Order: sequence, then structure tokens, then C-alpha cells
Amino acid sequence: MTFETMHRRTSLAFTGLIVCLAALTGCGKTPPAYFRPNMVEATKQRLTPDQEKQVATILLAMFGTPDEPVCLPETGLDEAKLRLAAGPVRSDIVGRKNGLYREHCAHCHGVTGDALGPTAAFLNPYPRDYRPGVFKFKSTERADKPTHADLVRVLHNGIPGTSMPSFALLPVAQVEALAEYVKYLSMRGETELALMRAYFELDDDAQGKLPETREFLVDETLATVADKWKAAADAEIPVPPMPADIDLVASIAKGKELFYGDKANCVKCHGVTGLGDGQANDYDDWNKAIVEIGKELSSGAAAAREASTSGMSPEELSEHRAQLAWLDKFGKVLDGDALEPRTIPPRNLRHGIYRGGRRPIDLYYRIHAGINGAPMPAAKGTVPPEDIWHIVNYVRSLPYELDGELGADKPMLARDRF
Amino acid sequence: MPTCSRSNQSAAIVALVILAIASGCRPERVASPGADAEAAHALKATLVSASSGAGAAAPAAATGTGWGSLTGRFVFAGAPGTPKPLIADKDTEVCSKAGMKLLDRSLLVDPSSKGLANVVVFARKTARVKEASPPSTPLVFDQKQCEFLSPVFAARVGQPIDVKNSDPIGHNTNISGSDFNQLIPAGGATTYAPKAETGMPTMVTCNVHPWMKAYMVFRKDGYVAVSAADGSFTIADLPAGEPLEFQVWHERSTGPNGALGLDKPDLKWTPKGRFQITLQPDEVKDIGTLDVPASAIGT
Repeated sequence: MTFETMHRRTSLAFTGLIVCLAALTGCGKTPPAYFRPNMVEATKQRLTPDQEKQVATILLAMFGTPDEPVCLPETGLDEAKLRLAAGPVRSDIVGRKNGLYREHCAHCHGVTGDALGPTAAFLNPYPRDYRPGVFKFKSTERADKPTHADLVRVLHNGIPGTSMPSFALLPVAQVEALAEYVKYLSMRGETELALMRAYFELDDDAQGKLPETREFLVDETLATVADKWKAAADAEIPVPPMPADIDLVASIAKGKELFYGDKANCVKCHGVTGLGDGQANDYDDWNKAIVEIGKELSSGAAAAREASTSGMSPEELSEHRAQLAWLDKFGKVLDGDALEPRTIPPRNLRHGIYRGGRRPIDLYYRIHAGINGAPMPAAKGTVPPEDIWHIVNYVRSLPYELDGELGADKPMLARDRF
Repeated sequence: MPTCSRSNQSAAIVALVILAIASGCRPERVASPGADAEAAHALKATLVSASSGAGAAAPAAATGTGWGSLTGRFVFAGAPGTPKPLIADKDTEVCSKAGMKLLDRSLLVDPSSKGLANVVVFARKTARVKEASPPSTPLVFDQKQCEFLSPVFAARVGQPIDVKNSDPIGHNTNISGSDFNQLIPAGGATTYAPKAETGMPTMVTCNVHPWMKAYMVFRKDGYVAVSAADGSFTIADLPAGEPLEFQVWHERSTGPNGALGLDKPDLKWTPKGRFQITLQPDEVKDIGTLDVPASAIGT
């Protein structure tokens, strides 16, 4: 060893590196992509391995695989579009690009649409998990699905202020295919959730097995999910146009009054400065679900630790052991299938960056219907449309407001702030 | 110029980094049994068949006549302990007026009768309903001093609810899993008619004051009750002469989805928090005192 030259040691390390790389990248074929089950829900519902298998089997029959997607007519989806988006990246026989989802989306949103792609953990905010079927930026009421045009708009514009880029350079047909595929993954994910939750609702004589009838699987479960997507096409919020002769200065002043007032109450979360520094320790629905499970686990673990097994009957002891095994499994599932929960800060309105779009009507939709999945509540019903327009005008003026009097932190131009 | 030993070192570091990345810093994921491809193929044929087939179950036939009531009382058999104070650090001039501390209300036990409040009991399925349509008189769901006045609230689907705010500050009421998350201005109110059943009760929060929490349960037939301060509950006008299955829930229950499992073999009480009963016409069935052991309630 002492006689080895530097040169030999270097080349040895280099060879070692190459061998390592070759071994790791693997000379064999990559295994086919698969849809990862929703392990968080499966574990939450305490599904048995047989039940997990039944859900996977039903979903395979209904939706196919990431390489071979299928859709039942009840979904209203276009299988030709799905095939363009699905599968590995390749060219088909007429030279068309296939595998668009895996080329553009899967690294963040995951093959399953579970927002657990390899890059997801490094992004803030995290990418969207399509499986609960909840989308934020849309022209429909809070609980309604987005319209097809809403999804296309997000793909086209990207989401400013986040890692979601614009796909405006893709041909229209490709964007259409991706929007269709997002709907497909969302329907699949929501159907999976419904199936996993259905075990709890089963009667005892069903012996823990879901009925594999068309009536239950298609009419009751799949159609319930798909019909909401179909209904979205006609569910656009009717917006009375802003009066053309509106006095903008007066409207901004009125909007400011509403912003700080008790009726619209924007100030509580977006802060007296409008910097989004009001109520800031809340979670969105995706993160809150993980937070709640974490609480349940830690309280369950605390109870299990305190329990003494000495006075237990054999049944109680086996129940106790099952509970410990479940807690242990759930901890591991959270490690591998969930990201560290993050709070959702209210939007800083002085940036002039609007995630859901910067058109006045986009802001109107956000204020009217609130933001689904996020803490932002709806103002409709308590704030009349003309007042919503005043708030829109004030919010749009915030990045340019020069003479802030409120708060210690004097507002300034967005471009001077950062 | 880097020396040999330096490049040697850096090569080793690169190798280590690549190894670390490739071997994955991510924890190993829990395995799940995959789909049964053959069964899926066979199932697909069932799913695409044009007719719904003979599997279409007719709605449960109405067998009985007349109406009966169910009543009982939940009693907590353990020591409830002192409720924890909530961290109410916003709008303190309203929320913690005169040093008043908001307390955790997830386990409310009446000190004298040991009655356990806020247990939900509802009928899972009924073939007949006495009142065909939900009552049009609104229920009131109010919030005052940064607390929902009803920690657990039951309503019939379609029945109007006046969501009120009796505070001088604004709130929002966010019913999770529903279409409702509305601003409720100071001293204001808005009306909401639930559109769908909740299954198990769903959480209600105010996002401005995150400690505010309540639960709501909506049932199509309205056969639902929340136990009172003394632990008692009554569901009236239930269909008699048919086997009824009831679901029982408590916020802190250790059972699946909050189901409250009790050791009551005479009522066929299951770990999923369900029991069965058939009522006779005009009967008022009292299932008596139901002891909830401390082990059924989580921390």
C-alpha cells in the first residue's frame, strides 16, 4: 500500500466509481411503472392485505396501468388522449410524442398523481396531490371540480410563485392530453379513496369484502366521482361585470375599507400590511390530513406505552399487540408515503404575484368562492358582488400603494421589497 | 493545479455522494400486495356489461308499521381529568376576555351524574321515514367568544342551518369535506342547508382562530342524536318492526373513524361501534346506562 503511486490510487478510485455507477444504474431493464396504492388511507382504514389487494384489483379493472390506461364510458374521458399522455416517453408509429405525463409531470406529481415524485420533497409549496380530487384555481364554486378550461389555463400559464412552470410552448393537442390525464389520475385517486373508505361502511355480513358488482363499483362509486367532473362544465360562477364607468379611486378606497372591515375581514389572515403575515400557522387540507394522523399516532403511541399488559386477557393482549403493530406500520407508511407537513402562509398581496391568475376575474373567483383545500373562505352570501369588485380593485392596487399608514412595516413597491 | 491526493479525495467524495443519492436517502416504502391481474380481467367484463345485471338490490322492503323511540344514557366509567386550556393567542380582547380561558371540550363528563356528552348515535339505514321532508325551521349554529357553542351538531340533510357569529370580530366557518367555508361577519349570519350525508361526523373549524373546533353530522333521514350534558340521548319516530342498526361515535374514541365500541353483547355491539335493535310500534325502548370505559377514549 505504501508503494502505490498517487496515480494508481487515483485511477483505482476512478475505476471503482465507474463500477459503482454501472452497478447502481443497473444493466437490466427498468421495472414497469405502477400505480402506488394510497398507503396512508389504507393504513388509516386498517385494511387487511386481502382488502388492499381487492382495491388494487378493482382499480386495475377500472383504470388499467400507467402504461396501458383504460377508462369506462361512465368517466366521460377520451382514451385516445390518455394514451398520448401515458406510458414511457417515446415516439409512436406516426412520429407523435407519447408519454407526455412522465416527460413533463411525473417527477413532481408522481406516476400515480400522489405528489410524491422524486423532486416533490424539495419544492415549496409541494406539488398538488390529485387523488383527493381537490383543485384550487378554478372558475367554479368551492366544492365543484375545475372545468376543462381551468386545467388547461393552469397548464398554459403555470402557477406564478410556485414551481409549476408554463407549458405554453407545447402544442395544443399535448396540453389537452395532459389535462385529460390529470382528470384521469384524479378520478382514479378519488375512486381509490372511496373504495378504501367503503370497507368501514360495510355491513358485518359482507365479511370485509366489497361487492364486485357493476351496481356498486360503477353506478355507486365511479359514477359519483365522474359525475362531479361532468357537472363542472356548466358550473362556472356567473360574474356580474365590473361597471364600465366605475370610479377606480373611489372603488379602491371602498375596497380598502372592506379589506380592513369586519365584513370581509381579509386583514385577519393577509395582515394589516397585506404582506400575508396575519394568521399564518394553519395548514391546507392535504397537509392537515397528515397533521391529524400524526396527532392520532402520537396519542395512540402514548396510550399504548402506558398500558400494562399484566392484567390483560388473551384477547385483550392480542388486540394490544395488533394496535402496536398498526402504530409501527403507520409510522413507516408516513415516512415513505407522506411529506413533512407544512403550514400554508396567506398570500403576500404586495408581490403582485397571483397564483390562480392575474386577471381581475381570477381574483373575483378567489374572493367569491374561497379557495378549495385552503383556509381561504368564500365571501359570497355575506359580501355582495359590487363589493367583491371593490376588493379586487384594492388588492390589485396593493403592490403599487405608496403611502401605507397601517402597521409598523410601511408598504412599499413590490420591486423595492425584493 | 490540484494535487493527485486532492483529486483522489474529491473522486471518493463524488463516489460517496452518488452512492448516497442512488441508494436513496428516502426510507424504504411499506409494501402492499399488488392487484390480481386475472381477477381484474374477469372483473372488467362485469364492469363493461351493458346491463346492471341481477345484482341490483332492491331497496330494503318496508316490513313494519308504526313508530317507536330509542333512548339511553352514556356514562364515563373512568376519571376524565382536567380539560387542557386551549392556546387562544389571536384577538385576545374578545377571545380571552377578563382572563377567561378556553378549555378543550373533547371529553365532557358531567361531574355529578358522570354522563358523557357529545356522543353521536344515528341509524345507518332505514326503510321508512316518518317526516318525508326535512323541517323548514332553521337550526342555529352560533359562535361566541371564539368558541363554537355546539361542540357536536346534528342536522338533517336539507334542513336550513343559521350559521351565526355573535362576536364583535369576524370568523369563518369551514365544514371540512363539504361545499361550505364562509366568512361570517361580526354579528352576522348566513344560512346553509347541507346537501349530502357525512357518514361519520366531519370537523368544523375557523381558520382565523385555529383552536376553534366542532363536529357536524348530517343524515338524510334525520335519525340522529347527540348525547346531552347528562349523557342521555333520544331518537324519536323511528320505524318500528324492522331491524335497525345504529352507529355510535365519539370525538376521542379509539375505534376506527371515531366509532365507539362497547362491551354490550345483548345489543350485538361491534368494534365498529354499531348495535342492532328492532322496535315495536309505539314502544319507547330504553337501552339503559351504557358504560364507556376509559380504554375506549384516547388521549
